[in-house]
Amino acid sequence: MKNGPLFFFGLFAALTLSWAGTVLLSHHQLGGLAPFYDENESAAFPLRQPGVAARGQLVYADLGCASCHTQQVRRPEFGADQAHGWGERQSVARDYIFQARPQLGALRVGPDLANLGGRKPAYDSDDLISLLYTGVIPGAKAVTHPYYKFLFDERPVVGEKSAVALKLTGALAASAGSQIVPTERAQSLVAFLLSLNNSYDYPEARPFVEKTEKKEGEKK
Amino acid sequence: MTTAPTNASAEVTAIDAAARWPLLLLIASAISWLVLSGVLALIASIQLVQPAFLADCSVFTHGRTVAMQESIFVYGWAANAGLAIALWILGRLGGSLLRATNWVVAGTVAWNLAVALGVIGIAIGDATSIVLLELPRYVQLIMVVAYGAIAVSGVLAWIGRRTEGTYAAQWYAVAALFLFPWLFSAAQMMLLWAPLRGTLQAVAAGWFSQGVWTLWLAPLALAAAYYVVPKVTGRVLPSYEFAPHSFWCLLVVGGFTGGRHLVGGPVPAWIASLAIVSCVLLLFHYFIVFINLRGGLGRGSTAARLVSVGLLAYALGGLVDAITAFRGVALVTQFTFIDVAQQQLALYGGFSLILLGAIYFAVPRLTGRSWVSGALVSGHAALLLAGVAVLVASLSAAGWAQGHDLLNAKTSFATIAEHTRTWLLLGTAAQGVLLFGNLLLLVNFLQTAWATCCPTAPSAENPFRQPSSMEATAS
Repeated sequence: MKNGPLFFFGLFAALTLSWAGTVLLSHHQLGGLAPFYDENESAAFPLRQPGVAARGQLVYADLGCASCHTQQVRRPEFGADQAHGWGERQSVARDYIFQARPQLGALRVGPDLANLGGRKPAYDSDDLISLLYTGVIPGAKAVTHPYYKFLFDERPVVGEKSAVALKLTGALAASAGSQIVPTERAQSLVAFLLSLNNSYDYPEARPFVEKTEKKEGEKK
Repeated sequence: MTTAPTNASAEVTAIDAAARWPLLLLIASAISWLVLSGVLALIASIQLVQPAFLADCSVFTHGRTVAMQESIFVYGWAANAGLAIALWILGRLGGSLLRATNWVVAGTVAWNLAVALGVIGIAIGDATSIVLLELPRYVQLIMVVAYGAIAVSGVLAWIGRRTEGTYAAQWYAVAALFLFPWLFSAAQMMLLWAPLRGTLQAVAAGWFSQGVWTLWLAPLALAAAYYVVPKVTGRVLPSYEFAPHSFWCLLVVGGFTGGRHLVGGPVPAWIASLAIVSCVLLLFHYFIVFINLRGGLGRGSTAARLVSVGLLAYALGGLVDAITAFRGVALVTQFTFIDVAQQQLALYGGFSLILLGAIYFAVPRLTGRSWVSGALVSGHAALLLAGVAVLVASLSAAGWAQGHDLLNAKTSFATIAEHTRTWLLLGTAAQGVLLFGNLLLLVNFLQTAWATCCPTAPSAENPFRQPSSMEATAS
């Protein structure tokens, strides 16, 4: 350590080595990942995000949803993700290539959302909008999710009621003559969540099996 | 106090006097941020058991609260405290007055303004949603420049050192000073200015967040520990000849642990495998640090007690990191509060306890007077140790329950919340205890700084006193 320049070089080399070993190498492997073109369907997967979903992803990021929800399904034999109904297959790098900022997340206080739009039975946007307003999971009674009333406006009904106004009953219902309408942010957030759909089965997402000739129509 | 200056002058030197106000400014900012991050940690912790808490307020959604808390903890508390101690050590071991202290002051002001602005940015929705890089990108460039301004002083002290040999404390401090700006600017480049594609962002973010720990915060803490422990024990460190190996092991292998949280994730499996191997190799480093610094264990003064418990937590944190990295264990622990517990063990137990111990050691030497209140010192230490222990234990218990419940698809999230509720409440209580303890430190520090700045009885206190009287005696 007495040799100043050598010490300095050592520090620099240590950092560069780890950067090259993890980031550069994986970039070499994945940086050019292209959509997968399926000749049977004459379409390339993953589909591009609609603009409203891309905007919704920004809302997802700025509210910090990723602090409680992951967006990465682990492979069927590794954990119970498949049994939870979060996805039939593991998430692969190709799922995310069109996302400006993938939100993999690190903590599951709530369920994984990587395939929310492909769930069975499917969620519809009314369920999710009402979850955001009331904090009550569809089908449940108690408040188990934070509610974000700031994503909604209470407005007087002028003429006809808004098509997207919440249908609420009881104490939560809007006072007479007014309605509760989701803001553009709430609507794009929900559009983003419903756009998350990993149901297309990429070759690399199938579990590893000994190489055999693939038969037509074979599933996994 | 009429001690002969001869035996005490080695303790408060002209070096300390020259560095006094810039470093006290850094320490004051650090402690203030620590208290603020405690408030946010308390809010976030309450929200985990009571989701409706402050949910209506867009500034305090759980995600934003966590992001603000994490940013304040790392860039407010840890950066300021670590830099203060690193500069102090480099000045003292270099054997000459700290130079460029005006730069330190200007850099500190700019850094803290940038962090404050960034936290406001997170509150109004500009967070980047990347772990440890949450601060909006408009402040990050200011932060790099401000960090450089603060670090200049340390680099000058290192280059202009008057001593023949160098010490482990110096290597770690210099490494931290140099590595952070590279790491930080590379991460900004790859994630914010010219973002990588898809999940490569997760790989780069993992490299950065593990790098913040192994290449920046851990070296800062170890610089403090390698300085304070021999000072307290007055002995040569055992097996010191292994210290360079341990140092290079941390720097070279530490950076490869980046894929540690990507086990089973949508990235090539070799990234996680490489990280797991690195986590295990890194145990060599933790082992040597423990062997080197075990002499500090069981010493009486508050500073020594905090540093040695911090070292135990540091080594334990490394061990837990290695164990939970394995795929079989990660199957249960991944995505649970156990990861949070491990992070708290490292950041609060390892880094913060060591740095707080170093602050208790350094402030009397910087100000030339002992802490105003010995009772506050020992009160803070007791609350800290209890708080950290309960926090880590309760989060681990919550994570263990959560991890096993998650493996059973029939368990609903409402049931998991019920199972973890007690533990999370305990964790909330621990956050409260830590916040209260850190408030005691803030009060004590401000009083001490005030007494130094405007002594009530002029020159009643002789700046040259017995070293022993500088330790907080009530311990």
